[in-house]
Amino acid sequence: MNMENRQARSLIVPNASMIAAHRMRWTDPLLLIAGYVALDWASFFHPLHGLSITPWNPAPALGLVFVLRFGWKAVYPLVAAVFLADWWVRELPMPLLVTLVISVFIAGADTAVGEILRRRLRGPGIFSDRRSLLEWAGIVIVGTCVTSFAFAIALRTFGVIPADDWIQALAQSWIGDGVGILVTMPLLWMLFDERDRAVLSAAIRHWEVIGQIALTVLALWIAFGLGAEFKYFYVLFLPIVWAAARQGLAGAVLSAAIIEVGIIGAVQWVGLAPVAVLEIQMLAVVLALLGFFVGVVVDEQQRISSELRQTLRLAAAGEMAGAIAHELNQPLTAVSAYGSACEALLEQGETGERLKDAIRRMVGESVRAAEVIRRLRDFFRAGTTRLEPIALADFLTSTAAPFVNRAAQDGITFSVSGVPDSVVLGDRPQLEIVIRNLLSNAFDAVSAGAPEGRSVRLSAELQGADRICIGVEDSGPGLSSAAASRLFEPFSSSKASGLGLGLAISRAIAEAHGGALWTELGSHGVFRLTLPAERKAVRAA
Amino acid sequence: MPPSALTVFIVDDDAAVRDALGLSLGVRGYRTAIFADAESFLQAYRTDWRGCILIDIRMPGMDGLALQKRLLELGCTLPVIVMTGHGDVGSAREAFKSRALDFLEKPLDQSKLIAAIDEALLRSETFQQEAETEHAFAALLATLTPREREVMEMIVAGRHNRDIADEMGISARTVEVHKARVMQKLKVDSIAQLVRLSLGVADAGRGAN
Repeated sequence: MNMENRQARSLIVPNASMIAAHRMRWTDPLLLIAGYVALDWASFFHPLHGLSITPWNPAPALGLVFVLRFGWKAVYPLVAAVFLADWWVRELPMPLLVTLVISVFIAGADTAVGEILRRRLRGPGIFSDRRSLLEWAGIVIVGTCVTSFAFAIALRTFGVIPADDWIQALAQSWIGDGVGILVTMPLLWMLFDERDRAVLSAAIRHWEVIGQIALTVLALWIAFGLGAEFKYFYVLFLPIVWAAARQGLAGAVLSAAIIEVGIIGAVQWVGLAPVAVLEIQMLAVVLALLGFFVGVVVDEQQRISSELRQTLRLAAAGEMAGAIAHELNQPLTAVSAYGSACEALLEQGETGERLKDAIRRMVGESVRAAEVIRRLRDFFRAGTTRLEPIALADFLTSTAAPFVNRAAQDGITFSVSGVPDSVVLGDRPQLEIVIRNLLSNAFDAVSAGAPEGRSVRLSAELQGADRICIGVEDSGPGLSSAAASRLFEPFSSSKASGLGLGLAISRAIAEAHGGALWTELGSHGVFRLTLPAERKAVRAA
Repeated sequence: MPPSALTVFIVDDDAAVRDALGLSLGVRGYRTAIFADAESFLQAYRTDWRGCILIDIRMPGMDGLALQKRLLELGCTLPVIVMTGHGDVGSAREAFKSRALDFLEKPLDQSKLIAAIDEALLRSETFQQEAETEHAFAALLATLTPREREVMEMIVAGRHNRDIADEMGISARTVEVHKARVMQKLKVDSIAQLVRLSLGVADAGRGAN
């Protein structure tokens, strides 16, 4: 089991220590250059001294994504992209050589940060858990600080900016680059990854997105239209938390991008001063990071819950397989014994009724074996729960039938009562496992106690129009609250034999049906199982 | 062909398995008796049964291993063959600790089953013969006088005539006389045979305690 897990994990993550660099195709540098220039052009406002120092600078995020994907070789197209952006977007009044030097410096700095990220983070989903998200944010914040510092010093040394402005250049460059990368990079990274792209497009197609966008617009209007000093900024946290809680990181990333674009638009519309814009960008980055963390936690929780469900399904399959092996062995033993009897009969020259009879019984046993196989197939078909209408009364009676004998043997009063004429929606073999398991537990519980007054009751009642509640009650001692809290955990059996998986599996099955399974504390044992029922309460047949 | 007085007792909760095994063995000339569960077997059990028992481990109520233990407590000497659907080490160990002769996995290989049954019946038979011989020998032992018994025990212990004579304060010639009487009464031809038979009785005596 462990071994398999390890193998499975290593299949998903071919190189767990760092992100493997892809081969660059000829279209990739063009894409980088075009995207970089476009982003730079779109975000070019409030520039400091006409440089690429703006309050929101998402273009480096694209550069980082390319370095992460293709390794340090992405530095060549990146230099070209920065140079073209400076030359075309800004039309700087500087000699081309100085522009080129600045471009090489910026591209080199971004590549260095990107290479650190590539070596530190684990592929392929770099935003798959809290640890990597935290590490990513830390590297970006420290990295942009160091490069901004070096950039400001260099600009001052070469006299590109006035000597007194270098601190302002450092602060603005750091905030602009940092915010641009922190807010935009997860979205860009996801857009370039095939699997993440599918997740994003699924998140976008969710109908709630319309509501989230509407709420974002409303929140932007409240934050920027109503109050001065954006004291209502916090309203913007609502849409991103909504998106993160519902669609995980993909929702948070999309929402952060929409909010950021909205903030930039609103800032232009209101006409805020550059200093106020910087301040609001700080708020925006906090908002985005909060959204990402909520999203990652939601994703992690979902992943763990689906892994657990898978494990439980495997456990259910294992338990089922054990039972089926026993049930297959019996008819196979009989078939081989009948076959051997036929052989002996033929050797003795017997070709009449005795031989025919033995053959007939052998065929009968092979039919029985085939029936077991059919049930096995039913259980494993696609490994999923398939809901079909099941007549409740018939189902409970037939499932309880094997227990009637046991009740008579052990002196237990066993009753199936009050079952409404309803049709439940369920997977028959799986529900049989649940009911048999509950009954078997109840029988074990009463058999352990005094021989007088032993009773087990199986009942069912309608709950509202579309739910059925099935109850299994026994005259046993019931459960202490401590035992009840551990009851549904795997391997927590109170019985000497068995792994204690029965109830965990039963609950997994109930939940896969959209139902529930729980126990009630009290003076005797009570288990209740709810299942969806067909609305039309009366059976057609 | 197996001896007709010996019976194969089959205890299995599955009607088809019981029926098929009964038929297969019956056709081959074995005498069989079938039981649906451990309880009905125990109710019917009699100490003078001869043959072997084929027990399924997994049965509702008392399972095969518990039945084996119970039979051991009852002093049942019939060889037991255990059958199981899932041959796990734990139950195999349990079965052999309770002196199972063989441990067969279902679905059964008929030739293995028959080989196991033949061995069990053979063992049951030799066991039976040995028990009878010992029984007869014990009866003969009772006819010896105390003096003769004393001499016999010293002979079996491997002591020489002179030695025995010294110890008992009698002449070597008298020892010779006693020895001849002992061998005549116990119907043995040699000292070796005498030693073997007396050891068997001693073993049986210890086993009963």
